[in-house]
Amino acid sequence: MTIFLRAYLVLIFGFVFLPIIVSMLFSFNSDRFPTLPMSGFTLEWYQTIFADPDFWRSAKNSLIVAGSTCIIATFLGFCTAYTDYRYSFRGKSLFLAIILLPPTIPLIIIALAMLAWFSRVGMSGQIVSIIAAHTVLTAPFAMAIIRLRLSQIDESLEAAAWNLGASEWRAMQEVILPFCKPAILSSLFLTAAVSFDEFTVAWFVSGLNKTLPVHVLEIVQGTIDPQVNAIGTLVFGISITLVVISQLLIFFRLQRAAS
Amino acid sequence: MRRLNLYALTFRLPIIIWQALFFIGPLLFVIAMSFFVVKNFRMVETFEFDSWSKMISRDFVWSAYRYTLVMAGSAAALASLLAFPAAWFLAFRCSAQARQLAILLLIIPFFTSYLVRTFSWYTILAESGVLNGGFALLGLGPFTMLNTPFGTLVGYLTFVLPLVLILQTVTMANIDDRLIQAARNLGCSSARTIRSVILPAGKTGFIIAALFAFILSFGDFVAPFYLGGSNPPTMPILIIDTTKAGQQWPRAAVVAVMMMLTLFTIAFAAIMFAYRKRASR
Amino acid sequence: MTQPLVVLDQVEKRFDDFVAVRDANLTINEGEFIAIMGPSGCGKTTTLRMLAGLDAPTSGEIRIAGEVMNDVPADKRDTPMVWQSLALFPFLNARENVEFGLKMRGVAADERRTRAMNWLDRMEIAEFAERNVETLSGGQRQRVALARALVTEPKLLLLDEPLSALDAHLVIRMQSVLTKLQRELGITFVYVTHSQSEAFAMADRVVIMSKGDIAQVGTPREVYRAPKTRFVAEFVGRNNILPGTVTSASKGVVTVETALGAFTVKGDAPKGAQASIVVAGDMMQVGAGENSLTATVISEEFVGSMVTAFLEAEDGTELKVQVQERALADLNLETGNTVTLGWTASDGHLLMEET
Repeated sequence: MTIFLRAYLVLIFGFVFLPIIVSMLFSFNSDRFPTLPMSGFTLEWYQTIFADPDFWRSAKNSLIVAGSTCIIATFLGFCTAYTDYRYSFRGKSLFLAIILLPPTIPLIIIALAMLAWFSRVGMSGQIVSIIAAHTVLTAPFAMAIIRLRLSQIDESLEAAAWNLGASEWRAMQEVILPFCKPAILSSLFLTAAVSFDEFTVAWFVSGLNKTLPVHVLEIVQGTIDPQVNAIGTLVFGISITLVVISQLLIFFRLQRAAS
Repeated sequence: MRRLNLYALTFRLPIIIWQALFFIGPLLFVIAMSFFVVKNFRMVETFEFDSWSKMISRDFVWSAYRYTLVMAGSAAALASLLAFPAAWFLAFRCSAQARQLAILLLIIPFFTSYLVRTFSWYTILAESGVLNGGFALLGLGPFTMLNTPFGTLVGYLTFVLPLVLILQTVTMANIDDRLIQAARNLGCSSARTIRSVILPAGKTGFIIAALFAFILSFGDFVAPFYLGGSNPPTMPILIIDTTKAGQQWPRAAVVAVMMMLTLFTIAFAAIMFAYRKRASR
Repeated sequence: MTQPLVVLDQVEKRFDDFVAVRDANLTINEGEFIAIMGPSGCGKTTTLRMLAGLDAPTSGEIRIAGEVMNDVPADKRDTPMVWQSLALFPFLNARENVEFGLKMRGVAADERRTRAMNWLDRMEIAEFAERNVETLSGGQRQRVALARALVTEPKLLLLDEPLSALDAHLVIRMQSVLTKLQRELGITFVYVTHSQSEAFAMADRVVIMSKGDIAQVGTPREVYRAPKTRFVAEFVGRNNILPGTVTSASKGVVTVETALGAFTVKGDAPKGAQASIVVAGDMMQVGAGENSLTATVISEEFVGSMVTAFLEAEDGTELKVQVQERALADLNLETGNTVTLGWTASDGHLLMEET
């Protein structure tokens, strides 16, 4: 029975990873259309995307959007997490609900809402619009990560800082922020990664200033184009590298602190 | 210290303002927009039921609605059923480390582009794609898998299966071990244990997982669009059609409001059911 | 007479409907070691927090060195605290932790380091200065917490059950460290604890609190020998309490009619008043005396060289006798035996019932 279940588990994982592996494999396949057996190894598709100015333009936009989003989302997430940690007040449930609601609403609806709203206020098609939308989408994750970290703090720590002469602002600077540093870092990376991959809202809102996923979307709407595999593999590689780096940073920081 | 001073406000106000401007505002605007009309290719801000009546009276809107409900429901059910044996195995037959590793692996898909994965499936499921190539070697097929509900479901599952698997595993791993042991002690077989202990104890987690799967599938346009051939269309595809192609934003808003009402009702009912405690003792 | 360092003047603290501290009046003089003790929820920690400025009184005044402190925020006060959880900053090493208060005051880096190292030296943990505090043992972390609080040379030090997480042998050692420090520095210590032995071992005066009220203030001996309320008599030491009615009073001796008989006690009270005779466990002798009663031994509790024997009188009243362990067998105080207990009128203490 156990062998059966083990095989089943492998099957499920296979289903989950099949498209990823296929994409990576065929990004190096010399055939235009991916089929078995593979024809030959090539870097042609990678060369194509690197030579395409549209690719670089949209990649640049994606980086700008992801970079700005992660900073703003982490800031907002931190403020919310700290407010939840330290204060209780009337309407706190409503306060938290407003921040945490976005992930429960389908992206397509948010995309439409943002498109209409930004058109109304004259912000449509601009990079800042995408940044604003992505921040709304990723702030809840930032909040969750930082709030989790704050729940591990000694509850007297902040008061101890005040007690030793630190003003609220100083205590924030000398105690809360240093304590939350690992969570803040994780949050920056996670929100950047989510923003980098997001296409539904970006597609609706970006207009001419495409982000990379939107660029991919437009290619995919045309024909079967292996460029997409190359882009996908590249982005995946970068995302995973970022995550691994952030985890290593945290790991080494803990090592250093203990010695 | 409970003074509402500048310090407290600095941390409390930014999100409120931001969310009001970029979340609540847009959503309220969508609801309002469903009452606007389009005259002479321009959207006019007014309060009329024109867009509503135009959409509600159309058959294709209702068939799209039904189809979306059925497909999303199927995806949620399928994902829950398919994930269960794997999650059970991870929770009860694997070490904590193996479980950690499995969950870590399941997080990887979240870092890949869903679009690229969908594109991958397109090539895999195509008439001359990888799967049919494999079937050909066995002397079977070729099977038509794209532009069918099957394709749509494959797409939905790619989207939601990792999440459902993670949630179910964590739910089951957190069930009080003593309950399982007690059942074992009383002579329950594995199947009986599942029915009498695991399902009731993990009810909340399972329902939440299914709910997420439903919400995500209900709102996804990529799977039905690229793998399902948009035929028949789902609600999200209607929104795209009326927005991008038709420039009929008020009608798109109507679809959006219909979707929100549906999701809200179903989520509410699911959560009520999930957290309802047995009245009898 | 010099002005007291700390004055609590009719201080009350409410949290919504809950009254944590009610009508607290207390003066603390410079150089005193004060222990505030009581069961959980009695208000002792709230009182300490009000001194630190972490909670503000709902009414009444708190004056430190003559200045009204009600509106002075915590960071502007000079009342460093040693916390129950120690609250050491986990991302700093021992020296940086100790330097924190000085850093907040703008002391230059060199001077900070010198002063911090001085204190770490004094606490005998200089070798751990650069070590992260998470890697230190419980006793070492205690000393860092103390050094951190004392490095700014405050007039008033607050301690919130700092020894509660330590092993028993470390507690004894830290108690003598604290007492020695306090005498050397002449700093006023306000020490909150639920442990009577800690309070009695170190404090000049103790403040007993119960459910938000200050029940009694006095030296350990006063509180022990002359409890003012039923609560204090039950909370402190091993006391025998015999309630009854005053039948006569003359020449400084009062007779109280109790359920177990009429007994005499020194003091003065009006006839007919409700009163109790309190006889400390170590005042109760085995053998007949001026006042006597019989009781059966039900259990014994060893605490090192002293033994407390628990007895039950005819009407079920619980009685305690404290004797030296080596005298136990001689006195026939074994479980199951019935013995006679006796004490004199001056051994007891008259406790009037509160109206």
